[in-house]
Amino acid sequence: MAERLLRRLAPGREGEIIAGDLREEFEARGGGRIWYWREVLSCVAVRFSPHRLTAPDLRQDLHYAVRVLRRNPGYALTAMVCLALGIGVNSTVFSMVNELFWQPLPLPHSGRLAIVVRESDGMSCSYRDYLEFRQRAAAPGGRLFSGLVAYDDMRVSIDIGGISHIVGADAVTANFADVLGLKAQLGRWFGPEDDRLGSDPVAVIGDGAWGRLFGRSPDAIGQRVRIGTERYRIIGVAPPRFVGMSPPHMVEVWMPLASQPDMRDLLANPGEWERPLVRMIGRLADGRSTREAEAGMRALDARIRRDFPRDNAPAGAITVDVATGATRPDVRRVAAPMAALLLSVTAVVLLIACVNVANLILSRSAVRRHEMAVRRALGAGPWRLARQTLAEGLVLGAGGVALGLAVGYWSGRLLARSLPGFPHGGMLALRLDPDWRVVAYAATAGLASAVVFTLAPAMDAVRANAGVKRRMRQRDVYVVAQVALSLVLLIAATLLVRALGHALDVDPGFAMAGRLEARLSVWEPEYTAQTGRLYLDRVLAAVRAMPDVRSATIGHNTPLSITDATCAAPDANTRPRRAGLDIVAAGYFDTLGIPVLRGRAFAALDRQGAPQVVVVNETFARRYWPGKDPIGQSVWLGCEVKEPRTVAEVAGVARDAKYSSLDEPPQPFVYRPLAQEWAGFVTLIVHTAGRPERFTAPLRAALSALDPNLRVYEIETLEECAAGSLFQVRWQAALLAVFGGLAMVLAAVGLYGVVAYTVAQQTRELGIRLAIGAQRGDLLWMVLGRGLRLTAAGIAIGLLLSAAATRLLGGLLYGMSPLDPVSFAAASLAWTAVATLASYVPARRAMKVDPVVALRWE
Amino acid sequence: MSDHYLGEFEQIVLLAVLRLGDDAYGVPIRREIEKRCGRKVTVGALYSTLDRLEAKGHLSSWFADPTAERGGRSRRYFRLEPAGVEALGRAKAMFERMWKGVRLA
Repeated sequence: MAERLLRRLAPGREGEIIAGDLREEFEARGGGRIWYWREVLSCVAVRFSPHRLTAPDLRQDLHYAVRVLRRNPGYALTAMVCLALGIGVNSTVFSMVNELFWQPLPLPHSGRLAIVVRESDGMSCSYRDYLEFRQRAAAPGGRLFSGLVAYDDMRVSIDIGGISHIVGADAVTANFADVLGLKAQLGRWFGPEDDRLGSDPVAVIGDGAWGRLFGRSPDAIGQRVRIGTERYRIIGVAPPRFVGMSPPHMVEVWMPLASQPDMRDLLANPGEWERPLVRMIGRLADGRSTREAEAGMRALDARIRRDFPRDNAPAGAITVDVATGATRPDVRRVAAPMAALLLSVTAVVLLIACVNVANLILSRSAVRRHEMAVRRALGAGPWRLARQTLAEGLVLGAGGVALGLAVGYWSGRLLARSLPGFPHGGMLALRLDPDWRVVAYAATAGLASAVVFTLAPAMDAVRANAGVKRRMRQRDVYVVAQVALSLVLLIAATLLVRALGHALDVDPGFAMAGRLEARLSVWEPEYTAQTGRLYLDRVLAAVRAMPDVRSATIGHNTPLSITDATCAAPDANTRPRRAGLDIVAAGYFDTLGIPVLRGRAFAALDRQGAPQVVVVNETFARRYWPGKDPIGQSVWLGCEVKEPRTVAEVAGVARDAKYSSLDEPPQPFVYRPLAQEWAGFVTLIVHTAGRPERFTAPLRAALSALDPNLRVYEIETLEECAAGSLFQVRWQAALLAVFGGLAMVLAAVGLYGVVAYTVAQQTRELGIRLAIGAQRGDLLWMVLGRGLRLTAAGIAIGLLLSAAATRLLGGLLYGMSPLDPVSFAAASLAWTAVATLASYVPARRAMKVDPVVALRWE
Repeated sequence: MSDHYLGEFEQIVLLAVLRLGDDAYGVPIRREIEKRCGRKVTVGALYSTLDRLEAKGHLSSWFADPTAERGGRSRRYFRLEPAGVEALGRAKAMFERMWKGVRLA
């Protein structure tokens, strides 16, 4: 067997000699099958070593290729631009994926920074656990980390000049900057004293916040601002590139964990081992691998649980990984399918670009048949000629990569800049800096495409007598493939765009027109439930008295972002089931235009001390009391069966609405009156007579007149809110539309090229046809028909491919069928129109052929 | 330039052929190198070097008649050409010049 391989590898005399040598030694050493195999394999290794394959005259090939391309700048440039577009979008999308998954944090020796998470969720342990971990993981002998940081990420409000801004924030232990190797670009980071509970609250702000909120003034240092509920003194500004530990989520404020309200609870309750939960990041001790640190942390985890047993210890094993990209596991989980979708879409765009270039080379090789024939006559073997084509491909590919990186850089800038323009995009930041991974990816893509687009032309060169006919057919196949692939992208983009429209058309079950909402914090320590209710009554009275206000109300949650839920049961013994929950003021149903179908809405008589009441929705009524009158029934609210539950009476039934997103199925929902249940973070909803966006400034003024300390967050119209909830699909639709459009342009260029080439080839035939009496219109149809026939074939295949591919979009279509006939038809029609245009231009040229010139031509 | 200087392994192979004289074919060449240098040589590496040296004109080879002990296969014998001798001499002279007056502490 080994000998047969050898013979295969080295035919003729050479193989015989080696086989003979081996046989002789085999006898002499008295056997050794493994030895024999190893020797044979050494021949394989030598034969296929890259050194032997590339041969010294590759340089000569490349040199020649550069010369050929320089002599045909139009051809070279067209090919390179096609490639550059394909590689450009690929490198942009890749740098996005790179940033989300692989890029290290912009910190010194970031390869040694490891994120410590639990497999179940990102929060690895409680603060007290962290203190144990920190002490034990630094113990001499079994030292795992040279430093371990606990942090927790959150959103906080920061009040500057009477306006509250919501920003991403991290509460961290004081060793944060030391362990991470962070310097402050202004002021300082935290010192050990900031870890003490009760010390003066201080904060470090990010570069972005420093520019936006303080105009980059050095006076920012030392200022006291309210962040959340406390007044913090700003002591430093973080370096420009550092935006926290889980980009693209932007962190712009850092505070000591010790300054957080739940840490005060910890001080008051030393037996508390369950909260607050924190995340951990550490710098690996010298010589420790992540694997060792992980094993060590798992052992420590088991020991700490044994030493300090508790009921609700977080489940899941600890993992330790180098901190790259988005370190939060939940972000990675959400981003992974999106990344896969975008990467495959851009790969298809590149494939289409490659086919274009292959087409170009094929049509050139028709022109160069003469040159090839001469070289063959001079003794160049077929492999030699194929290698020449490959060399040209490599040069084109290299040019495409260089241009493509430039294209990718600019489109990346564009993408990064457009991101904050999206609703809720302000808290995300993409840097999209090209690093070596992006360059390597682009180079690999360029090399792979060079191989792809030169393969067929090279095969052509090898086959001595590939006829014009064959080549034409090959080009036809290419065009059909291009049309099919770009149609798939186009259909996917159309589907997403239509889904977006579809989602906006979904009846949310409440009225949005003319309504706007403002988020208010009526929280401790400024307000208790008692004073808060009184204050909110005053707010409502004042707002209702403003001109142009039709009505105003308060809900705990913002419509379409209601994620609260409770457990509800029809009696004490039935197992409670989950239902959505909101806490609303009187007038809520009127202001939002939600009809109360039976019974009554909340009224002034539902106050504290009065019998507890709820309003349920239709689905709730149907599920809990099928066929019965729900009015007057009682509902047991609360998930802990052992603890005393609230029993309330159903006062009314409201129509179903959408609560957390536009594509959710109907779900059971309970409303409770704000007068009987308190929530300090509320949404003021105002129905105005005029355009709601004009009402923003007067509303803000009125609210701050009532209480200058009141924190008012974003004020948005309900329509903006609804649009914000569609962020992901909007983002994907926009990108896919761009890529689909690009793919169509590339494919149209390909189609144009093929039809134009045919016309050029057939000039003589067209001339003869004209001379023997064909009408010019017939010629037009002949050429046009060819282009359209190719398109039709491409569309047919593309439709089949799309039917398979669009299933992958399932979750983003807001209930629309992935086989939506309108999208399929619209995309096909669009393609037909483009194809007609692309073939019409060369067809017109065919019409203008002068029979005399055409016949004299050859 | 690269044709004028021999690689280390090329020198070893040429010297082995020179030492073996009329008996220089694959098996003894390998044995000679393994014995004197104490390093393993695979048959693939050996033949690719021999082929390269022949292409450069340092060696020539011819085929002997098949023998029974090799399962009826012939041997390929190698012989140094004048160019090979000259190249070896140059390599030796170069090393001697470099070593002159040098003492390893």
